[in-house]
Amino acid sequence: MTLTSRKIAFAATAALSLAATAAFAEDIPSWCGPDNATLALLDGSGGNSWRQITSASAREEAEKCSSITDFFYADGQGDTQKSISDIKSFAARGVDAMVVFGDAGPAVLPALTAAHRAGVTVVPYRQQVGGEEGVNYAKFVSASFVSDGVNFGNFIKREFPDGAKMLFLSGPAGNSVGLEMLEGLNSVLDERYEYLNPAPFHVTNWDPALTQQVLTAEIAKHPQIDVIISDYGASLIGGLPAFERNGRSIPAITTESVNLLGCFWHDKQANNPDFKLLTRGGGNENGRLAAQWAIALATGGTPPETSVYTSEIFEDSVTGEPSEVQCRRDLPGEIYLSAKLSPEKQLEAINQ
Amino acid sequence: MNTANNATYGTMPPGLFGRGRPSFELGTVVLSTLALIVLCMIFAPSSISSGALAGSLPFAAVAVIVSLGQMLVVQQGGFDLSVPGAISLSVVISTHYPAGNDAELLPAVLLALAFALGAGLFNGILIGVVRLNAIVATIGTNALLYGGVIAISGGVPRTTTPLLSRIAGGEFLGLGYTVWYALVILLIVAVVLKKTVAGRRFEGIGANPAMARTVGLRVRSYELSAYVSAQLLYCLAGILLAGLTSQPTAFLGNSYLLPSVAIVVLGGTSLMGGRGFPVPTALAAFFLTQLGQFSITIGVPFSAQTIIQALALGLGIAVYSFRRS
Repeated sequence: MTLTSRKIAFAATAALSLAATAAFAEDIPSWCGPDNATLALLDGSGGNSWRQITSASAREEAEKCSSITDFFYADGQGDTQKSISDIKSFAARGVDAMVVFGDAGPAVLPALTAAHRAGVTVVPYRQQVGGEEGVNYAKFVSASFVSDGVNFGNFIKREFPDGAKMLFLSGPAGNSVGLEMLEGLNSVLDERYEYLNPAPFHVTNWDPALTQQVLTAEIAKHPQIDVIISDYGASLIGGLPAFERNGRSIPAITTESVNLLGCFWHDKQANNPDFKLLTRGGGNENGRLAAQWAIALATGGTPPETSVYTSEIFEDSVTGEPSEVQCRRDLPGEIYLSAKLSPEKQLEAINQ
Repeated sequence: MNTANNATYGTMPPGLFGRGRPSFELGTVVLSTLALIVLCMIFAPSSISSGALAGSLPFAAVAVIVSLGQMLVVQQGGFDLSVPGAISLSVVISTHYPAGNDAELLPAVLLALAFALGAGLFNGILIGVVRLNAIVATIGTNALLYGGVIAISGGVPRTTTPLLSRIAGGEFLGLGYTVWYALVILLIVAVVLKKTVAGRRFEGIGANPAMARTVGLRVRSYELSAYVSAQLLYCLAGILLAGLTSQPTAFLGNSYLLPSVAIVVLGGTSLMGGRGFPVPTALAAFFLTQLGQFSITIGVPFSAQTIIQALALGLGIAVYSFRRS
């Protein structure tokens, strides 16, 4: 090897390593600070595909930050007692940060407060647990469904500029997802848009069998239904063929995206001219935002700009923006194509 | 225990003597159902339109199958609180294992039936042989079955296979297949209970186990058979339910526990055991489902729907209690 070629080789190596360092520096997100920390993700009730995908998303987020030296996960299995003991035992083990889905609500607040006082960075998310930031926990990362209502309302206004007859279905009576969504809808829609359901929404308990019965009764009762609004798209599918049985087209639907629903739309849209579909993302990124906050506060990084998670429009069958309706027939129906987590990793998460 | 059984002893003979004329129980349920249909025609005509019935009858059929199972247990003076776990487990097995693949459906259904058989034997042995209290034992079994639900699926049932969807959702002569299955099951239960020696013994044992034991009947075997048959019926109901809903949840059985007891009571079977009423029970299942459709259609809030159903149940119990006293 001549001197020149050695120089070139050296220069090339130096340039490569510089580039690699620069690239590495770029890859480190701003919320990932320099201090090492351990992170625990504590689910109150982890037994459904949405929750497993959301937890896997949070874990993937944590893996982006090399300051996180260890990652733990525990599932309260819907048992308040176990959720509380999970929180206490991870605090006692000395984890630096914990992201908590407090399904039991304020019942887990005393445990969270104790962990907070012991110096753990506690970040509850999505489910309200009461208490105050800085007193009972470090930060509460909430989710707002008002913006979903606004997005849905704008779609309805665009497709039915002269008013519409709407059917709104949500989960258990008084659930905040439905009430917030209604607030968003009402901020956009005026009195020309009429709800066919009893106020504030048809109670379905997010149970597909009950949803189907409610839909059947309403389809038989109302000769004209222009739009169905729902926060759980997959549960609608069993009831929608009733429209076809009555010789009517499936109407426009605004709801949450899921693979099964996308494929259903592709199967049905040719014979159902009124079947337009607008979906919002599945909301799995809420877990990522909570993980970012916990990591930022525990490692000395820069916290994200917002602590309120809002999901965005995912599919619009009319404009194709931001996406056409998607369907992957090679994947199970319960996969969220809207999630950042790859479908393969989602499969892995739900098959654990 | 003896007092309770003696009290219902008087309700046993009409099953044998009452042939040829409709029973009071059947009359009550038929009249209530007709009254409900008239109410529907006046206030909520769309709820009895063919479109609405095509949607609601399959669910009524599932309720019929579940309630017939509960009825068999109630006839033996028991209570089966493992209904939710049993239904949810068969929903999960029949959707999770095939994972959308039709070829895997039959093995999954057989597996679900095997689990049901196991759960039925378990309940039957705890209650019939070990003599545990039925409520306590079946609550425990329910927890075990839900443990199975979580262990098998992690709480995540999969989308129904296309074949199961057709098996449950197809139509024959304008009625959903599920309705036909329920009618066949009803026929089998009614004939076995009312027209076979084993069936008559089953009712006799329920009315007065002490007397039955004295005359040499195998009381424990009959009690055990009630729990096993009940589980098999819940299992079938769960499989059909999985077929009717495109993407079931892992907890679909939860909404069947109270209605199953309510339907048995409305059907006229005494909670203290004894004579069973399969046909009135099936009609009561239709009545309760249609009552739900009626209250959805007239547009009352969900809270009022619950109250209407509770009132119907209270009225049913009152009518039978009044007559028995």
